[in-house]
Amino acid sequence: MNPDRALIDLLDRYAKNTLPPDEKAALEERMEGDPVLSQQVQEHLNLIESMRFYGGRRDLKASLNEIHDTMTTFAQHEQRPPVMTVTRTNLWRKYWPMTAVAASVALISILGTLQMTQSLETKQTAYYKELRRNVEQIRKSQSRIMADIAESKEKTGPAPETYAGTGFMISANGYVATSYHVIKDADSVYIENEAFGRLKVDILFSDKENDISILKIAPELLTPVKSLPYTVSPSEANLGEEVFTLGFPREDIVFGEGSVSAATGYKQNPNAYQVSVPVNPGNSGGPLFNAKGELVGIISGLQTETSGAAFATKSTILLHAITDMPIDTVNVPLALPRINTLKNLGKVQQVKKWREYVFMVRVYNAPK
Amino acid sequence: MYYFDELIVSEIRKNNRIVLQELYKAHYPMVLHLICSNSGTEQEAKDIYQEAVIAFYEKVQQPDFVLHCKVKTFLYAVSRRLWLKRLWEKKRYRGQIEEGELLAGIDEEMIDIEAKEQIFYKMAASLDELGDPCKSLLEAFYLQESSMESIRDTFGYSNTDTAKNQKYKCLQRLKKLFFTLHNPPSHES
Repeated sequence: MNPDRALIDLLDRYAKNTLPPDEKAALEERMEGDPVLSQQVQEHLNLIESMRFYGGRRDLKASLNEIHDTMTTFAQHEQRPPVMTVTRTNLWRKYWPMTAVAASVALISILGTLQMTQSLETKQTAYYKELRRNVEQIRKSQSRIMADIAESKEKTGPAPETYAGTGFMISANGYVATSYHVIKDADSVYIENEAFGRLKVDILFSDKENDISILKIAPELLTPVKSLPYTVSPSEANLGEEVFTLGFPREDIVFGEGSVSAATGYKQNPNAYQVSVPVNPGNSGGPLFNAKGELVGIISGLQTETSGAAFATKSTILLHAITDMPIDTVNVPLALPRINTLKNLGKVQQVKKWREYVFMVRVYNAPK
Repeated sequence: MYYFDELIVSEIRKNNRIVLQELYKAHYPMVLHLICSNSGTEQEAKDIYQEAVIAFYEKVQQPDFVLHCKVKTFLYAVSRRLWLKRLWEKKRYRGQIEEGELLAGIDEEMIDIEAKEQIFYKMAASLDELGDPCKSLLEAFYLQESSMESIRDTFGYSNTDTAKNQKYKCLQRLKKLFFTLHNPPSHES
């Protein structure tokens, strides 16, 4: 509720202190008994006070401005140098030489780095190493050691192969699986082991993405295989499961064992495992089997700068590749083994059976 | 203790314009240097300094005022704090500004100064919002303390009663504006 006009007039006079003493006393008495009135009076006084304060300060400001102006004109008349020289230096003008130097250094570093690395792209092969054996290279490096032996050796037989890897049989009627990178760019491919001797194979199908190739033994087998003793595992291996491998990192078959360390491969590739099996160039394409003798993967590569990190393509991916294979195998059906006869055998017996069906893959390239 | 400063204070209390002028001139270079060497301009120095001088002037007008320090110390401390606050608002505050002589009770002083500043800008904004002729009418009555008769003549009302009625209405509007305005825009100058 707002006070009425009469009250405001009274309060104005109260604020200006022009009220006769008796009226003033009467007002103050009324205020004591009436809190609403008291608050109205306070508000009014507050407002008037604020207004006076405002007026006073405004006038003061004006006179200070006047003083300030006389001061500058005074200074100008005297022509004396200003008390303070206020220079707001342009930052760009001040710092451009420094900026230029910094930019040059950055440019030179970038160009220098490019010069040294020769390329902007980082090569993946620096980290992922495919495990086919470069036979020629090894031979050259060993030439001096082998010099004596070579002299006494007859120089007959087939021309030496360029690359070597490992492969294994996946069907009793002559289908062999290996890694794609082992047989890529091949002119001709031969497989070899103790049980079968040396056989020529044709490359039937390759899956570059999953690093899988299916080979077919070209000639009729002298000793036909009735059935393979192992099966291909249709489910993924578990973490920590014990796994074994057989391969040809050298001219003899080599056994290796370890366990499944991760359910994904290099750079989280879901189609491969990481395994702690010791592998070397030449192991590529080798079978990875579990304690039951089932095939669980195909050795494909390792990560450099990390010890004990080898990778193997999952057997489930191999099964997918075989089922999706766009090749007609009607005449000689690719029949995967169905019965695992290794299940209850010891490790040594399992390896003995397995090694019959693991081959060294020899790859020949026409010399460029 | 500060004989010369006491003299200045007593003269300023008597509204001696010459003394105020000399005081203003005497300490301006100090504040100009303070502001300009801390990323400010001359115009900003003037604003800050005037604010400090006004604070000092109003403080001196209080009946219970006692001088506790040199006028120069007071002006420097207040200017410094005002400028720090302004820099903070501009988000350009870096590091410290040299403190100079310590001034006891500067924090309470700054709160007081800020409160007064708010009242000033609130009242200025309210009066601007009110507009003429209400603004001039209220100023004439309350600030210049003109009589109702002279207001009637200046504003051309037929009689003092109309003028009084008009003043009453204006005051009600001002009251409403002033007490509902909560966030005065600061430093629009």
